[in-house]
Amino acid sequence: MDTASTIPVTAARANWPRWLLLAGRLILGGVFIYAGYAKLREPWMLFAFSINSYQILPEAIVSILARTLPWFELLLGIVLVSGVALRWTATAASGLFILFSAAMLRAYVKNLSIDCGCFGYGEKLGPLRFTFEGALLALALGVTIGAFLMHRRRT
Amino acid sequence: MRRKSSRWIAGLAVACAAMLIAFAGSLSAAKNAAQAKPARVDLAAEKSLGTRSAPVTLDVYSDFQCPSCRLFFMTATTPLMNDYVASGKVYLVHHDFPLPMHAHSAEAAKWANAAAEIGKFREVETALYTKQDTWGATGKIDDALDNVLTPAEMKRVRGLLDSPEVTASIQHDEDLAKAKGLSGTPSIFITHKGQTVQIPAQGATYALVKQYIDYLLTQ
Repeated sequence: MDTASTIPVTAARANWPRWLLLAGRLILGGVFIYAGYAKLREPWMLFAFSINSYQILPEAIVSILARTLPWFELLLGIVLVSGVALRWTATAASGLFILFSAAMLRAYVKNLSIDCGCFGYGEKLGPLRFTFEGALLALALGVTIGAFLMHRRRT
Repeated sequence: MRRKSSRWIAGLAVACAAMLIAFAGSLSAAKNAAQAKPARVDLAAEKSLGTRSAPVTLDVYSDFQCPSCRLFFMTATTPLMNDYVASGKVYLVHHDFPLPMHAHSAEAAKWANAAAEIGKFREVETALYTKQDTWGATGKIDDALDNVLTPAEMKRVRGLLDSPEVTASIQHDEDLAKAKGLSGTPSIFITHKGQTVQIPAQGATYALVKQYIDYLLTQ
């Protein structure tokens, strides 16, 4: 039996979850960085219009959220890319996507013709947006589960 | 000699009289022509408020029977008129975009544009939004306007409902809306320094619009 060729193959197989997790967190982090940047390059009021059009929050909260959420997204993206405290940042990302998806679903059910507000101004909420949001939520959940499993394996 | 001069005087008097008659005739003809064909009213200007050179332009595509349009008119347009249009900071432009889903909105747009022909657009616009529930249910638009138009004005407006100017004005606004790919109302556009942004109507409260305009005015 040729042990020299089987050992690297086994090592690569053992490492694939690590690579998958790395790819997942880089994509997720990139998405958050872009989402934050896209909102920050425009006046915060445009994002406030989008949040307010969901008709969920009072206007005072809308203004605060419009000013702070893009910074939070940017920070979360950077931390996700860096891989620091991945279990908790991935959990936060999943939580955000669950909240965003619920708000979008509610708007869709209420037949509100609104802007998504996901990546800056002027993005209509529609089936394509839902598919994309669903894929991101699945990715965030995958990274979260992966991060916890990795941690368990290490300890 | 004397006879000759008196002939001259008589001739001159006849010529002067003829000129006077001709002048009076031309004046009367001009007056009649003016009465028969009134000066064309710029309906787009009549439907706009403020100065065209204002730093910010707010274009609103509305349907008089749409509840969200009424809400925006009552809560945002009206305070905007007082706070920004009057001071020359905002040029407010109304565009008609009657949606087929509303049974009487096309007719309401005709009334508003016909009223614009006689300089009564604002009054009719306010009355249409204020009494939207009533005429929206019955279709009796003229009943909603009897407080803002005198019987004589009502008669004039009614006579202008199907005029080519009114039809063209509404069609022009609809063409603009279609060119922008609009499908709903109100659709709100804010233009500043050549840059136009469509703001999400459902989220456009007066407080937020005001903050955005204030921000633009500082740029």
